Amino acid sequence: MQKYISQHNLDTLLDTLIKRGIRVVAPRMNAGIPLYEPLGSSGEVVSDTLPRRSAKEAFFPVCEDIMSYKKEGQKVTITDIDPGRFPETVLFGVRPCDAAAIPVLDAVFSWDYKDEFFLERRKKTTIIGLACTAADDACFCTAVGLSPSASKGSDLFLTALEGGGYACDTCSEKGEALIANNQALFDGPSTSNPIPFAEPQTDTFDLTKVKAWLNDHFEDPLWDGIATRCVGCGACAFVCPACHCFDIVDEGTEKAGKRRKNWDACGFWKFTHHASGHNPRDLQPKRYRNRIMHKFKYYDDKFGQTLCTGCGRCVRICPVGIDIAAIVEEINKK
Amino acid sequence: MTSLIDTTIYSAITEAIRVEAARILSEGEVTAVVGYAAARRKGSAQPIVINTAADAGQLIFTPSCVNNLAVYLTKAKKEISKTGKIGIVVKGCDLKALVGLMGESQLKREDMYLIGVPCIGVLASTVQPATGLTAETIAPKCTECDAHLPQGCDFVPAQTPVVTKLEHKYAAEIARLEALTPAERWAYWKEQFTKCIKCYACRQVCPFCFCEQCLCDRNKPQMVDTTPRPAGNAAWHIVRAMHLAGRCAGCAECERVCPMDIPLNLLNRKMAMELKELYDYEAGFDVLDKGPLTMFTDKDDQSFIK
Repeated sequence: MQKYISQHNLDTLLDTLIKRGIRVVAPRMNAGIPLYEPLGSSGEVVSDTLPRRSAKEAFFPVCEDIMSYKKEGQKVTITDIDPGRFPETVLFGVRPCDAAAIPVLDAVFSWDYKDEFFLERRKKTTIIGLACTAADDACFCTAVGLSPSASKGSDLFLTALEGGGYACDTCSEKGEALIANNQALFDGPSTSNPIPFAEPQTDTFDLTKVKAWLNDHFEDPLWDGIATRCVGCGACAFVCPACHCFDIVDEGTEKAGKRRKNWDACGFWKFTHHASGHNPRDLQPKRYRNRIMHKFKYYDDKFGQTLCTGCGRCVRICPVGIDIAAIVEEINKK
Repeated sequence: MTSLIDTTIYSAITEAIRVEAARILSEGEVTAVVGYAAARRKGSAQPIVINTAADAGQLIFTPSCVNNLAVYLTKAKKEISKTGKIGIVVKGCDLKALVGLMGESQLKREDMYLIGVPCIGVLASTVQPATGLTAETIAPKCTECDAHLPQGCDFVPAQTPVVTKLEHKYAAEIARLEALTPAERWAYWKEQFTKCIKCYACRQVCPFCFCEQCLCDRNKPQMVDTTPRPAGNAAWHIVRAMHLAGRCAGCAECERVCPMDIPLNLLNRKMAMELKELYDYEAGFDVLDKGPLTMFTDKDDQSFIK
C-alpha cells in the first residue's frame, strides 16, 4: 500500500539510519560537483539535480582493492579483502535512470562468474528511488522504455507531492522491511497531487527494430559517419549507469602491493590491444560501434535487456558532442 | 543578468565558410574539410568531416563551436585520411596548436587549407549549448584571447570581431594560487587531482598528445599507476603539464572536457608564464624548428645550477 512521508520525517529517517551506523549514500555536493556519496547528515542531500556520475559506484566503485600481497624473504603472504565487512547501506534519492540500471548490472555480475564485491554490496543495500521532476534535452529515458516515474530497481520509490512530502511506494521486501523498522515516520496515503513529472522530449525508440538493424549491420557506413569524430576517451563509459567494464592491475613494489579493480572503457585504444600487438578494433569507429552494439544488441542477446537507461550523461559529457540518442534515433528510422 | 555579447557576425561567417568549403571541395583543392555541424540538442554543435561540396551546407559557426579541431589532423586520429590537402575551420586559439604541430614536424603547411574564423568567443563547458554568450557564460580562455582574428590563413571571412573587454579569469586564479604557501597550494592540487577518474578525456582532445603510446599506458615497465587513486592521478597530471610546457598555447580543451571539473588549464598557463619569463617564448605564433625546451643556447637561464 502507498504511504506518505513528510520532508521532516524523511530527514529524520536518514539521520536515524546514519546514527545506527548504516552507510547512507545520496546525491551531495563535493567540490561543486553533485555525486552519490556517503552522507554525514540529511542536510547534505541535494535532490534537484542529476549527479554527475551514476549510482553504480555504490556497488562498483571507480577503484577498489581486491587483495594485497607482501613478500618477506621467500615468504609471500596474500590477504583477501573480506566482502563480509562491507557496510549495510541505504542508497537514497536515486533517479529512475540510475535505479533501473542496477538490475541490468545484477545480470552481468551474477552471470557465469559471481562477482562477490558487487553482489555483497548489492545484497546489503536498500535503494530508495525518487521520481524526476526536471529534464533537459539530453534526457531520453522515455525513449528506452523507462520514465521519470519508473520504479524499476528501487526498493522504495518516492514521488514528491504538491504542498510538501512524498508518496512512498513499496517495491520489494527490502523496502517493506525498511518501512517496518521505521513505521512511526510513515503515514497513510496522501491525497495531494504529485509535482508534475519531467517530460523528456525524445520519441520512443522501437528497440526491437533497432536491434534487428544492428543484427545485420556490423559493417555499415553509419559507423564511420558518426564515430570518426570520437577521440577515444572513457568519459561516456565512466559516467554511464550501465557500463560495467573493468580492468585489474597490480600496484606496488616487489615487496608489497595491492591488486585493484578499476573502471575501463571500450573507447580506449588499449581496451582490445592484444599482447601480440594486434588490435581487432584498430580504429575509433570500430570502438564506438562496440558501444552501440553492446548497449542495444549484445547485452540484449545475452540478458534480454537494453544496456542504456536514457540518463543522457554521455550526451552531456562527450568532448566532441556525440549524442547516443540521436544515433539510435537515426538507426530507428532506417 | 549580464548583457549578451554580440555574436551576430557568426551567421555571416557560417555562410562564408559554407561557400568556401564548397568551392575548395568542388575544385578538388582539398579532399576533406574538418568543421562544425549542428547536433540534436538545441544550439549544440559537433565536429564533422565532410568530403563533398554537397555537404558544405552542414557547416556552421556558433558560440557552441568549442572544439579545437586540430586534434583531427594529428597522427593520433588514424581514421581521417591524411592523403591530400585537408581543409580545417580554425579559431585563433586552434591555429596556435597547428603552428605548434608544424614546428614539431607533425604537419606541413602545404597539406592544410586553413579557414580562419574571426571569433568573439565561445561558450564555457558549464552551460547548456543553447545559452546566450555573456561575460558569465563565455569560456574562460576567451576572456584572455589574443587571437580573435587568426593570421596567415588561406581564407578568413571578411568580418571584424568586436571584442568586449572582460576580466582575465586565469590570471586572477593563478594570482590567487601564487599567493598561497607551497603547502596550501599542494593541498589545493591534491584535492583537484583526487577528483580524477582517469577517463583521459584531457589527453584525447589535446592536439599535442599525439604519442602513439602514452607513457601512462605503458606497462613494461609501468611508469605511472593506472588506477584512479591519488598517487597515479597526481603523477599523470604532473607528467601531462610538464610534457606540454613550451608547447601548449592555451586552447584549454583539456579543462573544457574534464568531467570532474579539474582546472587543468591553470597548470598549462602557469607553465606558459614560466616559459615567457625564462626564455621570452610564447607558443603558437611562429613556426619554430625547435622550441625553447628542445634546444640549448649559452644564453639560457642557468640559475638553477648551484
